[in-house]
Amino acid sequence: MIKFDQVTKRYPGSNEVLKNASFTIEAGEFVFVTGHSGAGKSTLLKLIAAIERPSSGTVLIANQNISQLKESAIPFMRRRFGLIFQDHKLLYDRNCFENVVLPLHINGITGLEAAKRVRAALDKVGLLNKEKAMPITLSGGEQQRLAIARAVVSRPSILIADEPTGNLDANYAADIMAIFQAFHQVGVTVIMATHDALNRTATQNRLLHLDHGTLKQTNVAATEQFTA
Amino acid sequence: MSKNMISTALNHHRQALKLVLGRMRQNALSTLMISLVIAAALCVPGLFYLGVNHISSFANHIQDENEISVFLKLDADSAAIANVKDALNKNEAVQSVKFVSKDEAWQQLRDKAEKDSASSNVINELKTNPLPDAFLVLAKSSKPEDLEALKDELKALAHVDQALLNTEWVKRLSALLALGKQIIIIVAGLLAAALLIIISNTVRMQILTQKDEIIVSKLIGATNSFIRKPFLYAGMLYGLFGGLLAIVMLVGFIMIFNQTLAQLSALYNSDFSLALINLPLFAGMVCAAIAIGWLGSYVAVTRAAATININ
Repeated sequence: MIKFDQVTKRYPGSNEVLKNASFTIEAGEFVFVTGHSGAGKSTLLKLIAAIERPSSGTVLIANQNISQLKESAIPFMRRRFGLIFQDHKLLYDRNCFENVVLPLHINGITGLEAAKRVRAALDKVGLLNKEKAMPITLSGGEQQRLAIARAVVSRPSILIADEPTGNLDANYAADIMAIFQAFHQVGVTVIMATHDALNRTATQNRLLHLDHGTLKQTNVAATEQFTA
Repeated sequence: MSKNMISTALNHHRQALKLVLGRMRQNALSTLMISLVIAAALCVPGLFYLGVNHISSFANHIQDENEISVFLKLDADSAAIANVKDALNKNEAVQSVKFVSKDEAWQQLRDKAEKDSASSNVINELKTNPLPDAFLVLAKSSKPEDLEALKDELKALAHVDQALLNTEWVKRLSALLALGKQIIIIVAGLLAAALLIIISNTVRMQILTQKDEIIVSKLIGATNSFIRKPFLYAGMLYGLFGGLLAIVMLVGFIMIFNQTLAQLSALYNSDFSLALINLPLFAGMVCAAIAIGWLGSYVAVTRAAATININ
């Protein structure tokens, strides 16, 4: 479903942020992207979400080469993903409902159908009673859940989350992780960057560990076999 | 599938319009200000146009009468009159001839004078009829040079004292009107450029205040046209509101102008006034304003899109 082959990303005036990364993510996987800050986790996620294009190598998403996509086709590629950011990127001049409905509007879905889906998404993250509230009145954990609702409202098959629990205390973080696990269980592919996943998560999850732009491990199980 | 795409596109337009109208209602005062600026800029060439247009329709009316007055010598007898009439009727360039005898003309003058005591005094002073017999000759051609040639020809006829052609001042007037029309085009062009800049700057400001929203929309898969649409609608709506306001202002100006003009034209025994409603002008003004609004915001969005980057 997602295939990286010898992917290198270089920003103008900087070293290689990602070096020769090759891996495959199948549909329905739950993949953690780990590594120190500045290791290239965000860049890797941006490459997957077609926000960035590789400097060299190929990124295939659903058998489409991102580098060869026309500029006008990129937005439609992005709609396959639900994106969640560490800083939420909510719109603070709109209420919760209006924040969540935005992806549906982009897809041209309005009216009752849109309202039904927005409420379903808000319900999944436990914010159904806050639809008229402004995001600024929500706690950090609630804001992150609102961001998840916005990411899942158009029912993408892949969720990409960049340190979604980075700013949250342990209780809220566990909440958020439980929500992602729930989506994973109904078949959604989840790709999550985090710097502390190793301590907490079950070993059956895939792991992509980055060290200064180099991919060190691509599979938890494989590594365990090695060390055992 | 295509039906689906059409309904998606329609939804996009409806949302964009709803969003923009909501924002404009929130910032009603600034929307009104921008509309007023646009209206004022539209009014200036509009008023100019109305004035020049009215005068030129008046001038065209006169120009249509390609009439030459041929005055006979005072001693011309009936045989001479018949000769001249014959010559006029034979002339190829002449369409029709109307004879006005000196007695007829005298009577007309006295009738007119009765309404006006000052000139009737003068006429009563005159004991005898000072007027000559005359022919009103309508030429076939309305070209100034043809009329000039015909006038000279008629003047040379025996028993003819004078042939008068009143096209000189009409020529001057129409030259002035042509100049006026050129000035309108220049003024309208300059103001259109100014409007373009004003609208484009206004929309650019709005884009900057909506930067977060644009970035988020792009991240979650909004196309450029989806992002551009609300701003294009904003520009067009500014144009529309400005155009409608300009019509209201113009009608107001015309009403004031006509009141003043009514006093003036009463002195000239005329009912010269400007029409309140000029549909082609009004429609043209609104369409031009909408087009300028669209273009201004298109320029602004395209420029801003280059600076707002999601990466």
